[in-house]
Amino acid sequence: MSIVVVSSDSREKGREIAAKAAESLGYRYLGRELLETVARRHDVPREKLEEALDESPSLLGMSSKVRGRYLALVQMAALGELLGDDVVCHGLAAHLYVLGVSHVLRMRILADPEEEARRVADEKQVSLEKARKQVERRKKSSRKWSLDNYRIDESDPSHYDLVVSLSQLGADEAVKIVVQTLGYRKFEPMTYSVKCLRDAELAARVRVALVESFGTVEVRADGGRVVVETHALKREKRKKAENVKEVAGKVSGVDFVEVHVSTDVLRKAAESFR
Amino acid sequence: MAIVTVSRGSYSRGKEVAEKVAARLDYTCVGREVILDASDRFNIPEVKLVRAIHDAPSILDRFSHGKQTYIAYMQCALARRARQDDMVYHGLAGHLLLKGVPHVLKVRIVRPLSERVADEMKRKGVGEREARSLILRDDEERRKWTQTLYGKDPWDASMYDLILRIHKLTVADAVDFICKAVGLEQFRATPEARRRIGDLSLACDVKAALVDQYFDVSVTSEFGNVLVFTKAGDRMAHKLEEKVKVLASEMEGIHNVEVHAGVPAPEDAV
Repeated sequence: MSIVVVSSDSREKGREIAAKAAESLGYRYLGRELLETVARRHDVPREKLEEALDESPSLLGMSSKVRGRYLALVQMAALGELLGDDVVCHGLAAHLYVLGVSHVLRMRILADPEEEARRVADEKQVSLEKARKQVERRKKSSRKWSLDNYRIDESDPSHYDLVVSLSQLGADEAVKIVVQTLGYRKFEPMTYSVKCLRDAELAARVRVALVESFGTVEVRADGGRVVVETHALKREKRKKAENVKEVAGKVSGVDFVEVHVSTDVLRKAAESFR
Repeated sequence: MAIVTVSRGSYSRGKEVAEKVAARLDYTCVGREVILDASDRFNIPEVKLVRAIHDAPSILDRFSHGKQTYIAYMQCALARRARQDDMVYHGLAGHLLLKGVPHVLKVRIVRPLSERVADEMKRKGVGEREARSLILRDDEERRKWTQTLYGKDPWDASMYDLILRIHKLTVADAVDFICKAVGLEQFRATPEARRRIGDLSLACDVKAALVDQYFDVSVTSEFGNVLVFTKAGDRMAHKLEEKVKVLASEMEGIHNVEVHAGVPAPEDAV
């Protein structure tokens, strides 16, 4: 069976539609509740996971290394859950890392800006004008977040199979569209698409194993073969490659590790000034 | 019944979707016909109109205002056709030209660049690099066109009701979605929706009659009460008032007409 990944410019609307679609389809709803499990399992504060998912990197905010680790933990947990199929996922940024899997329906919901501003004005007891500005600011910040952390512009419609605007169409119609779309054969899991999802999940587990000790790493998996890309100074390249191989090799499901270490230009430049 | 506007990039298969939707719903499929209507009615060569809707305005256009004039003519022709409902329009900027009409379902069809490039290569017999550059140039031209004339990005998802990506979804799936959405209550041509399209068409008619001489006019109409806005000074505004009075006596459907000079035009003005 299939997977639906819902992204939205309004968290409330996205959650509402994802939950309703899960109910109509008889699927599991996978949302922010998963953060509780991640926090418990890895002994990290849940609020910090939320912060990593919501707030754009800033000078005074969370360090990029810590943010990278928290996002890697969320990604690993979400992909693990998605392997179970029959899931509607929302609020875990899955639209930015579940890529190239044909049985995943990627959908974006656009809330009616006026309705959204009215909701914010009611909730925060501010004027409608102020609420409109807040809604606009939140959209910009969310776009920036996706570009900073995943180098994908989440507001670009070409990243989705379909985009539904709620300005004219209602939430119930959006749910009907999801149900109808999943009826198409293209969204049936095939051997290849299931393998792609398994590869993504394995790569996420390897990344979690590596990210704490080695900082930013790019990981790709193909079957049990894992390719890791990282940076180091010229003199540290060999040692880093060996260490990465050792740590990644211990992750269950990994048969072979290939490491590509490129020169860390920034550190090299920093050292040349000493 | 509804009006459907299908916005698309080159080789996105949007025209095919529009034609199939029109065939299934027994609607009129309109694309180039709007250009022909405008060409006939305002006696402008078709090629000039095609250039006006395809190429982004140049620096010279910003002074001569030729493009705005041609677009006003085309909007006028499109609004006239839209008055009859049951229409699928797959030409440029339908979602912007028919703004404020409630029973318009605004659809955008997108397709992965790689597939569009492959189609361009096949059709024009060119290499991948050239095909890619042609498509990207075309996309950029359309982006500039919409941005210069309407201050909007055609890739901005919030302008559409439905965006469908032809990749995992086929043309037939897209047609299914659109036909089902058209059947929804909110896209039914209610008397109020018909009144709105009638008013839009009237405003477009007035603007088309004035734009040649007064390029900066904006027009609104509500229940046949027409408001003409201009940035011009008193002398020009006075001349405009005279011209508008003559128009009001010649044109059908105008109950009252007022000219407002030096006042910013409302957002829904054409």
